[in-house]
Amino acid sequence: MPPRRKSTDQHELVERPSRKRPLPADPYEVPDEDDAIPSAKRQRRQSQDGGTPSKRNATPRKHVDFLQRDLVPVPEEPESPTEQTPSKKRIGRPPKAATGGTPSGKPSTPSALRKKQVDETPVKLRGLNGVDTPSRRGIADRSARRKSARALIDRVLEGAVSDDEDEEQQIAREIYESSDEEEDENAQQENLADQEAELAATTPSKTGRGRGRGGRTPGSTTRRKKSPTPPRDLPPHEQYFYQNKPGSNKTSNNTLSSLDLLTHEEYFSLLREDAQKDPHEEQIQALQSHHAASFPQWAFELSQGFSVCLYGYGSKRRLLHQFAEYLFSSSSSSSETNTKNNKIIMINGHIRTLTIREILTTISAAIDPTFRLPSGNPLAMIQNLFTLLSSSAPKTKITLLLTSLDSPLCPTLRKPQTQSLLAHLSSHPSISLACTVDTPDFRLLWDSSLRSSFNFAFHDCTTFAPHSKELDVVDEVHELLGRMGKRAGGKEGVAFVLRSLPENARKLFGLIVGEVLVAFEDGQSGGGGEFVGGGGGEGPGVEYRMLYNKAVEEFICSSEMAFRTLLKEFHDHQIITSHKDSIGTEYLSLPFRKEELESILEELMS
Amino acid sequence: MAETHDDNPALFEEDDHRAVYIFAPAGHNSSPLQEKARPVKRRRVSSKRASAAAEVAADAEGETQSTTTAAAFPRLFGGEESAEAAGLRRQVFDTAWPVLDWRIKNVLREANRTTLENVSSFIRDAEGDATRGTRIPAGFIITGPNIVSQDLLFEQLSEALGKATQARFVRLRAAGAPNLKAALKKVIRDATAQVSLDGGGDGDEDAEVAFGRDGRKYLDYDLEGLHAFLGAQQDSSRRVIVAFEDSEAFESSLLTDLLALFHSWQGRIQFSVLFGIATSVELFQARLLKSTARQLFGAKFDVVQADLVLDNVFKSAIAGTQATLRLGPTLLRRLLDRQRDQVAGIRVFISSIKYAYMCHFYANPLSVLLADEKSLTRQLLQPEHIQAVRTLDSFKAHVEAAVDARQLNHAQSLVEDDSYLVKQMVEQRQKKQDYLMQLLRSLHLLTSMDLVPGRFTDLYVAALAGGLDLTPTIDAIKRLGADDVPALINRLLTAIQTGSPDLDLPGWEDEAEELISSLSEIRDEIEALAEQAREKGQQALKSKFTAQSKVLRTTVVAQKVQLSQDTAKLTDEDKAFGKAIDSLVDLFTHNIYSDPIDSLFLHEAWAYDAEAPYRDVFVPRPGTTFERALTRPHGYLGCECCSKAAGTLSATLPTTCILYQLYLETGSLVNAADLWSAYYALVGEESDAGLGLGEREALGRFYRGLAELRLMGFVKQSKKKADHVAKVKWLL
Repeated sequence: MPPRRKSTDQHELVERPSRKRPLPADPYEVPDEDDAIPSAKRQRRQSQDGGTPSKRNATPRKHVDFLQRDLVPVPEEPESPTEQTPSKKRIGRPPKAATGGTPSGKPSTPSALRKKQVDETPVKLRGLNGVDTPSRRGIADRSARRKSARALIDRVLEGAVSDDEDEEQQIAREIYESSDEEEDENAQQENLADQEAELAATTPSKTGRGRGRGGRTPGSTTRRKKSPTPPRDLPPHEQYFYQNKPGSNKTSNNTLSSLDLLTHEEYFSLLREDAQKDPHEEQIQALQSHHAASFPQWAFELSQGFSVCLYGYGSKRRLLHQFAEYLFSSSSSSSETNTKNNKIIMINGHIRTLTIREILTTISAAIDPTFRLPSGNPLAMIQNLFTLLSSSAPKTKITLLLTSLDSPLCPTLRKPQTQSLLAHLSSHPSISLACTVDTPDFRLLWDSSLRSSFNFAFHDCTTFAPHSKELDVVDEVHELLGRMGKRAGGKEGVAFVLRSLPENARKLFGLIVGEVLVAFEDGQSGGGGEFVGGGGGEGPGVEYRMLYNKAVEEFICSSEMAFRTLLKEFHDHQIITSHKDSIGTEYLSLPFRKEELESILEELMS
Repeated sequence: MAETHDDNPALFEEDDHRAVYIFAPAGHNSSPLQEKARPVKRRRVSSKRASAAAEVAADAEGETQSTTTAAAFPRLFGGEESAEAAGLRRQVFDTAWPVLDWRIKNVLREANRTTLENVSSFIRDAEGDATRGTRIPAGFIITGPNIVSQDLLFEQLSEALGKATQARFVRLRAAGAPNLKAALKKVIRDATAQVSLDGGGDGDEDAEVAFGRDGRKYLDYDLEGLHAFLGAQQDSSRRVIVAFEDSEAFESSLLTDLLALFHSWQGRIQFSVLFGIATSVELFQARLLKSTARQLFGAKFDVVQADLVLDNVFKSAIAGTQATLRLGPTLLRRLLDRQRDQVAGIRVFISSIKYAYMCHFYANPLSVLLADEKSLTRQLLQPEHIQAVRTLDSFKAHVEAAVDARQLNHAQSLVEDDSYLVKQMVEQRQKKQDYLMQLLRSLHLLTSMDLVPGRFTDLYVAALAGGLDLTPTIDAIKRLGADDVPALINRLLTAIQTGSPDLDLPGWEDEAEELISSLSEIRDEIEALAEQAREKGQQALKSKFTAQSKVLRTTVVAQKVQLSQDTAKLTDEDKAFGKAIDSLVDLFTHNIYSDPIDSLFLHEAWAYDAEAPYRDVFVPRPGTTFERALTRPHGYLGCECCSKAAGTLSATLPTTCILYQLYLETGSLVNAADLWSAYYALVGEESDAGLGLGEREALGRFYRGLAELRLMGFVKQSKKKADHVAKVKWLL
């Protein structure tokens, strides 16, 4: 397309001197970029300036004018702070898009171009994200390269070419070739451009091109290297965005299926052995006694109307217990009457069934064992409690010691209503509260008004002590790994579910349990019991068809429909699991251990 | 369930299974004692019911008693401190704080008084107002955005209005009333509960009373029930005031429904509503339907802003003469900043002050010097006290200053002679008093001049930190005209006469005779000068300081601008006026001054400026704490084995710490299998530096670590992939 070519020539005329002019006479100067690269590349770069307008202008003639008009101010450009063009131009611009005569304004080409351009503005991005842009750019380049290579191969294989396709092919070839050229370029060139880009980004006021500095570029080469591990030492917020980038969640497909998961029994026998071996036992004790030294201080704070809140890593249950003992002994030593009037109430927040009503009734029992707090709305209960408290003859002081106020495992305590009730309780002058928290973000539980009615004094009590009582470790981990949902609260849960089901369902379940137990026996005697699933205490399965036949024999159900309905109930309660093997036979199995199954069967038969 | 497997007697406690229980340690002989005590108590309880009223009176006394009989502080000086000294510290604290507490409460009560009066008179008068018709009286209280201070206001409102209008007061918060039913339940419950509380009836009864006399039961969200209840109470007024504390947080549809309902009941129950409004009435009205707005008969009330309340509390509790303990500038600045930046609320501010008092008397053995002269005897001061004084920074500074001033004997005796030092310490009390008086008087004079804008709090803190800075004030004085100066002097004279009730500072006319006479002299002189000048026909007196004395003249000569400065001629009166101003400034610089607080000898005994306890106790940084514990556990444990592994992985670290380090490197999804293999590679048999743990053993620890990570809220279950957990925390 002659006019187009002409324009680029003109461009060159205008641009050439301008590029030279601001260069200092630097002895270390690297060869001028324009001289160093093949002419094709140069043309590509120059034409690129016109690339964007060309998309907008349909006719070539106009386009020239536009270009010329647009290009005249270019001499000033190197001085301008936004000098990023070299790096921008160098990379990935389809080289012969202009020279090869792609009709401008073709819908396919510009969109492709535009997309490319989006990928290739690394300068700004680098300011923000520093690390990964070069590599991402590289990936984008490479994938484009790969695609175009594939396109070229396809083309050759097919042989047939239409006009449109021809153009596409052209572009593909260009992309492919450009990448070749790019690789041919010496590394220094790249560094140089990088350096410039960086310079432009960081010190925009610099008037010089900074090309003289391009000589020493040790930093940039190392930076471009792709590191296999994620960058360390990012600030937390950066890390969040880094790790939550779309598509960055690449984890392996390994599972724990090869590992035999722990059972409760094994865990506790391990724990017993382990407890003796803990190398930090002594230090943990020392830490504990260090915290215990501040008991008088906490007691003083409690007496002055503050609530004490202990935070930090490790179980603080033991510490709180000791504190209770301290409070108890100090109050009993001071005078006999105090013992009766100072009541300490322990609340184990880690117990999931804890309710605010339970707390309130216990408090009322502590004030006056004969008084029966009418149950009802907790707020009304608190009102009644306060009346009781103010009417109790010897002034009763209540100290609430609450473990795991914010336990994420105990949803009732974390509820805002519960928290505000507790705050209301603790704001009463004769009730004081000392609590422990387990999470680092416990402060989010309270808004400023709650916080001021709690009137907390916080203390760092990192104990490193194991949460042996608060946590049911095995269940927690299994639930975390999603292995827990398979059973409805163990044996008791099954009994509970079965009690609510009709006779037929109970019979059917007994049948399945019996069959599975038989399969267990078979499996142990080396028989062909089909084992379904890995670990998690899952037993062998029984064949669906066989089970159905047996159920019909025993008049449990008359049709497969009814059989399915019964099974669905079990499925809903997650007390059976089903599984299809490779040839499509369905197996049913029970997510229980053999001993549990035996006791379930016993219960069913009795 | 799980715990039953653990038969380790040392760790096992029966009570752990119970969610809530009354603590009675095993082995303590109290448990049989309690058993015995129960029947006794039961008898006493039955008698108590009869004489409940007498006991309530005793209650009030009990509170004051409990503070006096409180246990003494632990002994300091490594236990060497005498019990008397420790007891005295406690006693000083117990007498010092209640005084302030009372004053603060007074200030708070006073702060909202006008608002309260206005609101209650509005509610009272609304009934008789003929223009109201059937509309609901509605008070719009512009509270500003600070919800914590609102809390106090509504508490006072409920007290004041309950008394003034004999109405039931119900406070509604958006969080407690998510829908119409819940809101009505709350209204009815609170309106009916209040009376039963006053009546002193037992909890069992009021459930019956609430639902009318005739034994009919009503649903607990039926206003009919409330109506019946009010009728049963023979309450002629039948008024219920409903306060919407955070009206912006209520859904507008809920408000509309509630108001419509109240309106329809208006004939039977006299509803009045109050709205706490953080923005503006216009915005609030825009949220209501026009028909609803038409049902309201409203008035607007402003509230004293939290800033002003804070200033008043500050004046009385921190700066006032009643404050036994002086809080230092660093701490104060931090407290004030927190108030401004975080809107922490006045109650937090007050508890922070209280905590500072507690810290000082609890942990500083020299705080005993604050006791009054009667109880602070020479015997009480132990050698440790003397030694402690000698280690003080202010002691060193004092001695050095004495040496510099060639008072060598004084310095030597201070260092060597105990009794001389004690004498000096006693003298310091007076010096402290003088210092405080000087400081407060200067501040009072400065604020009453009212020349430089600025809050008292800032001025006070700056004065404590670096002494008073008079420059802006003096500049302002120099710019004053001849008419303003006498007014200023008059203001100062009254200030000296009356003192400041806020600061609890009495007038000090007697002590400041010299100042008063020179001030009045200057005033008279200036007035005379002004008179003279007026006679001479001069417009106003000018001094050499006033800006008009130099006139910048612009003349346009042949299209060129010429600038010339022209010193206006000063008349004799003007010159005399300038001199008078000079002497006034001189007077001020001599009379209004203050040194930084830490320039005083022994200021450690009566000033508290430690910021760290405050920060640790009120603004904890649990994230940092957790991170420190998990990344550098040896900082807490102090063990040999982990000290090398600062921030890196080492097999000897506690399991959770290792897992946490691995966790930090993961993306937002964590593969538990990979986590396990990474962990096992570190501690397992094959690892070089490992402990050689067996697989099952390592797995047991791994379980524990993972469960703890979950307990701390670092991970949660993820359904995206099998055996994966989701990472939840980035910012610690």
